[in-house]
Amino acid sequence: MPWEELPWLALTLLGLVILGHLWFHFVEALLARAKRLLFGPPAPQVWHELPDEKEETDGP
Amino acid sequence: MGFFDKLFKGPQIDTAKSDANAKKMRALFDHVVENGADYRLIYGYTEDVSRFNYGFVHGSKTKIGNLIVGWNEATDTIVAVPTVPDLSGCGEPTYYRRADILKAYRNKYPTDAFVIYPDKRGYIAINAYDWLEDESLYVYVSQDEALAAFTDYFMNRFAKK
Repeated sequence: MPWEELPWLALTLLGLVILGHLWFHFVEALLARAKRLLFGPPAPQVWHELPDEKEETDGP
Repeated sequence: MGFFDKLFKGPQIDTAKSDANAKKMRALFDHVVENGADYRLIYGYTEDVSRFNYGFVHGSKTKIGNLIVGWNEATDTIVAVPTVPDLSGCGEPTYYRRADILKAYRNKYPTDAFVIYPDKRGYIAINAYDWLEDESLYVYVSQDEALAAFTDYFMNRFAKK
């Protein structure tokens, strides 16, 4: 392959990779929307925040 | 020679960060588990691998679930608490009492995960390593000694066929 065509090949492959990623995320978004419509929003998960560090005091 | 020194030494663990995360793991675990102080802790994770085929693109997706795994040798209980890599919070604990589970063993292929079947319907496969550097996916903690202790306990006491 002529050296001059290599940058174009690299750009084409990069374009295909980007398109592939966009297609993946597009289909995932559609599937997530379909799941929400069919099954409703997921049940809220019980979540505990990290407790604050208690300051230790030596008393009065 | 500084560059080559770094190359041959390998990754250096940030002990301060590791210790801070170990404290957070302990705080979270004790917050949600009764008598949490009776349990020793390690960090583990689950891998949920699924395949997809969207026509132009196909492949596999891996979902990582972070866990604080506690074990109590006196009561033969392992507890798994779901969390996130920055340990900002945790979910509800799941208890695996040896007397109540169906089976438990250490896997060989494709990973050496600790597998517990609470019943016939499902299982949990816990992966655990000394230290994992990728903080976007895993909790940053160094746990050589604790992991060795857990492995010894799981293989010699908790395993069940």
